[in-house]
Amino acid sequence: MSAATAHTGTPRRRTLAYLGLSVLGACIGLLFLLPLWWTFVNSLRPGGDTFRYLNPLQWETFFTATPTLSNYAALLHSDLGLATLNSVIVSAITVVVGLAICSMAAFALAAIPFRGSGAVFIVVVVSFLIPFDAIAIPLANLFRDWNLQNTYAGLILPGLGNGMAIFLLRTFFLAIPKDLVEAGRLDGLGWWGIFRRIYLPLSVPSLIGAGLTLFLFQWQSYMWPLLNGTDSQHILGPIALSNLQGQFNVDYGVMFAGSIVLTVIPLAIIIGFQRYFIQSVSTTGLK
Amino acid sequence: MAPSQVFDRRKTPETTATGQVPTTRSRRRRASPSLIALAFLAPALISLIVLRIAPAAVALWESLFRQSLLQGGTVFVGLGNYGDLFGNADFTNALLVTLVFSLIVNPLQIGAAFLLAVLYTRKAAGAKIWRSLVVLPIAVPPAVSAVVWSVIYRPDGLGNSFLALLGLPAQPFLTSPQQSLASIMVLLSWIGIGYWMLFLIAGINDVPSELYEAASIDGASAWRKLWSVTFPLVRRPLAFVLVADTVSNFLIFAPVQILTKGGPSGSSNLLMYDIYTRAYTLGDLSKAQAEVIILVLLTLIIVALQFRLLRSSDAA
Repeated sequence: MSAATAHTGTPRRRTLAYLGLSVLGACIGLLFLLPLWWTFVNSLRPGGDTFRYLNPLQWETFFTATPTLSNYAALLHSDLGLATLNSVIVSAITVVVGLAICSMAAFALAAIPFRGSGAVFIVVVVSFLIPFDAIAIPLANLFRDWNLQNTYAGLILPGLGNGMAIFLLRTFFLAIPKDLVEAGRLDGLGWWGIFRRIYLPLSVPSLIGAGLTLFLFQWQSYMWPLLNGTDSQHILGPIALSNLQGQFNVDYGVMFAGSIVLTVIPLAIIIGFQRYFIQSVSTTGLK
Repeated sequence: MAPSQVFDRRKTPETTATGQVPTTRSRRRRASPSLIALAFLAPALISLIVLRIAPAAVALWESLFRQSLLQGGTVFVGLGNYGDLFGNADFTNALLVTLVFSLIVNPLQIGAAFLLAVLYTRKAAGAKIWRSLVVLPIAVPPAVSAVVWSVIYRPDGLGNSFLALLGLPAQPFLTSPQQSLASIMVLLSWIGIGYWMLFLIAGINDVPSELYEAASIDGASAWRKLWSVTFPLVRRPLAFVLVADTVSNFLIFAPVQILTKGGPSGSSNLLMYDIYTRAYTLGDLSKAQAEVIILVLLTLIIVALQFRLLRSSDAA
């Protein structure tokens, strides 16, 4: 380390570089924050004031001295509030059922030696290579024929089998020593017992990572819920929000409050499970 | 690591299980592993086959037929729909717009993500905090960011306030054929750069610090180190990011549908949105299916290229 510092320049130059990098990093970071911050501030003031402080820019553009939660209160009784609740329900069911389905499949691929496992893995990979949004339109036609349009099942089903989640879990399961399987068998466990009592408890971090993948797939989806569930009972948050935007008389305050709620929910989950999120990201990148 | 802990936890329930069920054990031993594996796999396999592969197969099949008003059903037309598509001005325009869009937005996002990854892995005050602000937009659902930016891009919105602050004239943004696509690119970069930066930061952190020290001893400048040490060593995550970003940018739909509806005059009509209008506004399902197949093939080609890229970077 001392050799390196000696060659990077004088202490004064290094302090300057440190300061410069800090300021540059801060400016870029704040620039990225700006749209969201502005959304947040606007969600705290009446919709009529959205465009009041924009010309010219002033401190009140980005701050408000009289914050009010009335937009959030209005959200509670609006269609957008109901749609957000729908999003929560659909995502929660997707994560629970999807994790069960994907972890079972990953377990079979990683732990059970059987003929044809190669072929099954190819099916998983192929289905994972076909981008879901690209086939959403043909699938929506099928769902209409199967009477799944405008049902919760129709919204949830496509999110359950997730090639990426299976892949993540399989990678983790492969690292579990086979000795444990043998020990389990000697203790009288069947494959189900080995899965439930050995693999699942050992894999909590990767289960959380896969759960995040399933959750974000569902929470971020826009095309599928637009094609498959737009009646007032089953409409999801993002669709309701974009419908609001298209109207003539928009209450911008409520629209911004809805945007913040739809963002804070996944944000809280990502921050809460940050470690696992980064882990699953790096596993994906290393493939 | 974790295994030892959990091994202990595991022991208690199993000792009781051992005593009870010698018969089940011998029965289970006899069940064929293929059948058991299939039982574990069935829910996932069925959902992947029915919800991913089947619709692609259906699209491929239906793209070979066409509604016939004369015969009152569908007739087989082979590759006729594909031929018609390539003769269709809207489709060729959408293909061109998507191509131009990809060629600009991908290098832009990846270049910015790489530079920011380098910036935020240097020693600086609050680097972790500023970095997380750049990552923040990945939590915002695409539809939400499109709605927020629709207000920013309004003539009296935040975008023009900033231009005014810099002394620049107000711009039409989404209502101008010259600026609509660029406006969508800016919005997508706001969402995407932080996400791709995460992969590159992971890659840069894997570069052993001795390499930098050695380069410093050799008197290499900061740029030289960036180009000769960092860049070659993050080639693998870079290749991944390049392909994943390209694929995801082929599938952009929400911002187009919410902000521009493909316009003005087709200037932001990306392929996904063209498929959507062809299927639902024009109601020409068989051509839309053909377009789905073209899109899926395009993404598959890019993913195949990824495997080539990764393999050659392994060899190097």
